[in-house]
Amino acid sequence: MVEVALTIPPDVVFIAFATVTLLAAILALQAKELIYGAIALGASFAGIAGMFILLDAPYLAMLQIAIYVGAVVVLILFTIMLVRREEGEEVTEQRERGEGAAGLWIAGLLAVAIAGVAALAGPNLPSTPPGNALPVSQLGPALVTQYPVPLLILAFLLSAALLGAMMLAKVER
Amino acid sequence: MVTLVSYIIVSAALLGIGIYGISVKRNAIRILFAVEIIVNAANINFAAFTRYLNPPTVSGQVIVFYSIAASAMEAAIGLALILVAFRLNGSIDVRKMDKLKG
Amino acid sequence: MVNIPTSPADLLPFIISIVTSHTFITIIIFPGMIHLTLVSAFLTWYERKLLARIQLRIGPLYAGGPGGILQPIADGVKLIFKEVILPYKADRTLFTWIPLVLIYLGTLPFAVIPFGQHWVIANLDVGLVFIFATTSVFPSMIIIFAWASNSKYPFIGGLRSLFQQVAYEIPMWISALSVVILAGSLNLVDIVNKQAKIWFIVPAFLSFIVFFICIMAELERLPFDLPEAEPELVAGWFTEASGAIFMAIFLALYLKLYMMSALVTDLFLGGWWGPPFLPQPVWTVLKALVVATAIIIPRGIYPRIRVDMLIRIGWTRLLVIALANVFITVVLVNSGLLARWGL
Repeated sequence: MVEVALTIPPDVVFIAFATVTLLAAILALQAKELIYGAIALGASFAGIAGMFILLDAPYLAMLQIAIYVGAVVVLILFTIMLVRREEGEEVTEQRERGEGAAGLWIAGLLAVAIAGVAALAGPNLPSTPPGNALPVSQLGPALVTQYPVPLLILAFLLSAALLGAMMLAKVER
Repeated sequence: MVTLVSYIIVSAALLGIGIYGISVKRNAIRILFAVEIIVNAANINFAAFTRYLNPPTVSGQVIVFYSIAASAMEAAIGLALILVAFRLNGSIDVRKMDKLKG
Repeated sequence: MVNIPTSPADLLPFIISIVTSHTFITIIIFPGMIHLTLVSAFLTWYERKLLARIQLRIGPLYAGGPGGILQPIADGVKLIFKEVILPYKADRTLFTWIPLVLIYLGTLPFAVIPFGQHWVIANLDVGLVFIFATTSVFPSMIIIFAWASNSKYPFIGGLRSLFQQVAYEIPMWISALSVVILAGSLNLVDIVNKQAKIWFIVPAFLSFIVFFICIMAELERLPFDLPEAEPELVAGWFTEASGAIFMAIFLALYLKLYMMSALVTDLFLGGWWGPPFLPQPVWTVLKALVVATAIIIPRGIYPRIRVDMLIRIGWTRLLVIALANVFITVVLVNSGLLARWGL
């Protein structure tokens, strides 16, 4: 009998989530149909939520799924359905002219930047997370005692955004 | 081993995908997808730094909390603006919306 | 840590150690897959019998056993063998995959709902928010499925269902906030443990009423039946579903019913606390079935609510009552009136 631990190493989980997030983000921009793009965006948000869980922020992960996948994706789907042309399906987009070249340029610039950061700052950045993470119960008091002003501003912003979106999208009869 | 640099790489890659989306795409809704991807990249960056800092702190999580709420609001307003632009112009092609008039 | 067998003589002890481990039992047997499948199938039969008795008829009778209890199996076999009709120009990938995602979303909250002190699959510290997150993904799946059906009635039904579910999520979670204030934790096991002396339905009674009405709206049950209004919309957002796809959606709806009933028992009705002549998980299941009965009975009694009344009730009346109850709960907890029950 060989003793084996039945756990998945966190590296594999991180690589899985990162791959899903990046591939879904690329798919969200490149998919032929907008609706597939919106669903891929939802999958990308779910991958980000998984990475939040790996970073010991489970509350943020649940918020990410509830707000982004549950509300923002619905809004996007609604808008996609409302801006369809009346004559049959939406015009499938031809590939834009400079697409491949722009993608390669950005990928190249990013590779240089990431290599630079990893080489120069890598040795100085911590490679393992320190100690224990703070429990979820610390988030509430921090929000209310240390950062009350942003909380109130957020409340006003939410009301303003709600009213603004309603006024903008209202159909004038 | 998952280090802080791995999370920075993921965040930077998402940022690159978002920049590609904003600069190349001509469908306004895809540009909005790209903006949301960039905001998510920033959120991952905040969450990663706040976890790997010595001593552990909760400020990064508070920032991400506000960022999620604020970007959801901005998505709502952006989509309402896309609706209005569609009604006025008949299409959501951003190359056609290059005049301030009308 | 498990012992992987290296020789055939070790195989049987290995299998026994896997099968009797706590993880296997909670995930596969109780409260895992077998228990969920059996109870959801039972709930379909139970609903039809109960509504039949309310309407002075008998209900399923011939499918075998006492009173047609094998009716769900007969339904399942029939639906598997029926043809899946794909509407003209419907989106085939989405049409076939979304029902599976719905089943997945229906079973996912059961990973955190505790059925006993140790009968929980994952004791998350943010268990209640996890359930919030998964139930808020339902409306987006419904709207995608309704769009993928490429036909009028499902689309209108899907929009109505979306409005209804989104409108009633907010009072639901504000009334759950009262429970969180009383218990002081988002962990569902802690919430039930705090109800050892008094069930939360007593100090948070208004919250219970609001939560109950909101879950009836989330489950699209009468009197909030508008997305499925039969004379108007044929069957709402799953009109075009047939055969195995309809079976998947049907199963997902009844899983959601059981999930909401189990959530109500854990939040308000004291979870597994009861006189010790029955084991703890049995109490939870019994209380969940009582709540499910209370959800099913109005379907045979009440008329349907009109859409403008529905939206108005969700956004104005229920929200105000839920907020008022949060205020009352904060006052109760801080004034020390609930100190004799340890809250």
